[in-house]
Amino acid sequence: MSVSHSSNSPVFRRLSRRDVLLGMIGAGGAAALASLGYRSLTHSGEIPATAEASVPFFGLHQAGITTPSPASALMVAFKVTPKTRADLTHLFQRLTDRIEFLMAGGTPQAIDPKFPPADSGILGPRVYPDNLTITVALGASLFDQRFGLAHLKPRHLAEMPSFPNDQLDPDLCHGDLMLQFCANTAETNLHALRDILKNLSDALVLSWKIEGFQQPNTLKGEHQTSVRNLLGFKDGTANLNPQDQKRMDQLVWVQAGSEPAWTTGGSYQVVRVVRNLVERWDRTPLQEQEQIIGRKKDTGAVLGYHQESDIPNYDRDRKGQQIPLDAHIRLANPRKSDLGLILRRGFNYSRSFDNAGQLDMGLLFVCFQSNLQTGFITVQERLNGEPLEEYIKPIGGGYFFALPGVPAKGQYLGQALLEAV
Amino acid sequence: MVPKQPGVSKQSRVQPKQQERSLIFSAATLLAFNLSACTTNAPNATNSSNATEASALNKVALTVTDKGCEPNQLSVPAGKTSFEITNQSSQPLEWEILDGVKVVEERENIAPGFVQDLKADLEAGEYDMGCGLRSNPKGKLTVTATGTSASAVITPSQLVAPIAEYKVYVIQEIDQLVIKNQAFTDAVIAGDITKAKDLYAPTRVHWERAEPIAELFSDLDGSMDAREDDFAKKADDPEFTGFHRIEKALFQDNTTEGMKPIAEKLMADTLDLQKRIMELAIEPKNMVGGAAALIEEVAATKVSGEEDRYSRTDLWDFNANVEGSQKIVTLLRPLVEKVNPDLQKRVDTAFAQVNTTLAKYKAPGGGFVEYDQLAKGDRDDLKAVLATLSEDLSQFRGTLGVD
Ligand code: HEM
Repeated sequence: MSVSHSSNSPVFRRLSRRDVLLGMIGAGGAAALASLGYRSLTHSGEIPATAEASVPFFGLHQAGITTPSPASALMVAFKVTPKTRADLTHLFQRLTDRIEFLMAGGTPQAIDPKFPPADSGILGPRVYPDNLTITVALGASLFDQRFGLAHLKPRHLAEMPSFPNDQLDPDLCHGDLMLQFCANTAETNLHALRDILKNLSDALVLSWKIEGFQQPNTLKGEHQTSVRNLLGFKDGTANLNPQDQKRMDQLVWVQAGSEPAWTTGGSYQVVRVVRNLVERWDRTPLQEQEQIIGRKKDTGAVLGYHQESDIPNYDRDRKGQQIPLDAHIRLANPRKSDLGLILRRGFNYSRSFDNAGQLDMGLLFVCFQSNLQTGFITVQERLNGEPLEEYIKPIGGGYFFALPGVPAKGQYLGQALLEAV
Repeated sequence: MVPKQPGVSKQSRVQPKQQERSLIFSAATLLAFNLSACTTNAPNATNSSNATEASALNKVALTVTDKGCEPNQLSVPAGKTSFEITNQSSQPLEWEILDGVKVVEERENIAPGFVQDLKADLEAGEYDMGCGLRSNPKGKLTVTATGTSASAVITPSQLVAPIAEYKVYVIQEIDQLVIKNQAFTDAVIAGDITKAKDLYAPTRVHWERAEPIAELFSDLDGSMDAREDDFAKKADDPEFTGFHRIEKALFQDNTTEGMKPIAEKLMADTLDLQKRIMELAIEPKNMVGGAAALIEEVAATKVSGEEDRYSRTDLWDFNANVEGSQKIVTLLRPLVEKVNPDLQKRVDTAFAQVNTTLAKYKAPGGGFVEYDQLAKGDRDDLKAVLATLSEDLSQFRGTLGVD
């Protein structure tokens, strides 16, 4: 089965105001539009910063991967405590129920005040969707001897190794299960996390968690598609276009064939907590910063180009006189082939500060790809030893496999895996 | 008994309005945000119309004959129930749910041979069912609290006996605490480090079992059981006294030097506690909530190994908290079982799971091995089961209708 045709297949036509108005005039116009799949807003992925906006839960792929990324993220890794495949299945069924509810929103049951309330109440008496997505991914450890799933492990899924520049904190790495929460506000993510913990406390134990954020889309100007990271550079400029379904099928979604059948429609997820040594960075001359990244800090344009969207032609600069050969963007993507193309979906993070009194903040790097080897690992190996390493320290993260989506009600996340033999 | 609300199916009435609003809303949003292309799973602005969390609608079927209801006794959980009523009598039927003489719900005019549904939203309690002819015996309908609605069917007077028994338990534990603490503090004062170390954990067991009551006296809780984290200057703070101060001297500093006044104060506090507990009237919420409080305590500080950080005897305290909680649960069992047998079953299973895991760490000479020997896998399992137990025990007050 091809995974490219989902129930809400994409429409690459820009809707005019008039279309929308016409749609409204017709009876049930908005509903008709919605059923046509007119759900996203702008091509650049702007999302309404409203509490009522929701992202559909059902689909061939999980939400939260090609969905435009909102302002707040929360990545939480868990250990699962079930001991049997049946109990693990029950966990995924219940998790599916919670996610479906939380993404749609609704009113929790009012109960006798002598009991603890059913909901934490963080979002008020009615849970609003707030563009929440919860994306479920599995770590390699879930495929150990516990559940007899070893033979079903995605081919490339393994415990994330320590790369040369890494200084991994074991308390910030790996996990059986990764839940990625994204929403317009941090409160919505925390509400969802607490709901899941309350309802699944018997089966999930926290391994680690980290919150991420990015400038809300409201700050984006007309022609700005990317927001800035904590080094002050625009990030996400040269990313794959998540609206391009064909490219997503090629590079992000696992296709039938090379992997265990259940993985079709899923994606490898890499999470890296990359600390930025910001004090040192801020004391580095601007031109050096720009040489290290390969782009202008103010405009985001590649060095020697004008617009942020201009595409570098490295053949015309073979010696690296314009764009250093070891600039981050040039190493990450030499633009020779599709090898190494990944869908990045990172956020900024900020925690506390270290014993030396230096800030602990940086990039909560997240990327998705259909092949871990030709995706992240290829890029990271190209980047090993890059000049940027002097200013960054990967301290945590892990490799995960984001499950295929739940096509319809009555089915559950991970079903194809758990019912495989 | 608590007055009952008329049961209406609220959901069906509210829905159309919600849908209307969401349509208007989505249209407005489309305009405001210049809609264009889309993807799978891209945001949409429609508010899902079935947003209300589907609470499982409970279904029961019953038949009314010329002799009455079959079955004549029903038990359903509180919340929404759909009754499917088959009229097999020879008369048109009026089927009712009664609270005393008050009609809570009714379905009129079910013709003979016909089936009708009645949806009712019921609070926990004992109800009667009107079963056709007035001369027919009334049926009994028991609605049990699920924690999702309803007040308890337990009256305060039913708690009197368990509370009295619990007070006896607490007094016995504190009496034991006085005896053991005398020997412990004597050893400390005599400078007998080995003996004092041996007596430390067994003494605390009695404190930990009775903790929900013992800690009601916050001054004594502070002077007897505070940890160094509770003080601005941590372990060096002159206010840091009690068990854990002595624990630090014995197990970390390996000395009893300077501990005499602290040991004397600890003994005096213990006697004071004993006196105060004798005079204390234990309130229902202290006992019923105590079962949960003990497990919360274990889940928050014992499973993490923060409690006895110098002696590593955390598992002794852990176990004693669990025993104290289980004592309460045992005393309340007849009441909880009556209202919500499922809850009781879950709690029993969870306690069994905790005890099985803890049993692996029993020391040959009695008591428990050091906390550091607790395997990570077991610690994770304990975290999960303790969290679930905490959730379930947090239903106890509501289940028993305790304020
Ligand atoms: C703290 C660490 C990092 C920082 C501050 C950083 C920053 C940047 C910046 C400013 C850009 C240019 C804007 C853009 O095209 O999006 C960029 C591009 C890119 N980065 Fe990173 N990055 C970091 C880590 C990584 C890692 C770990 C990877 C993957 C292993 C990676 C892969 C890429 C790729 C593939 C591009 C696009 C290059 C292109 O297609 O031209 N980056 N990064």
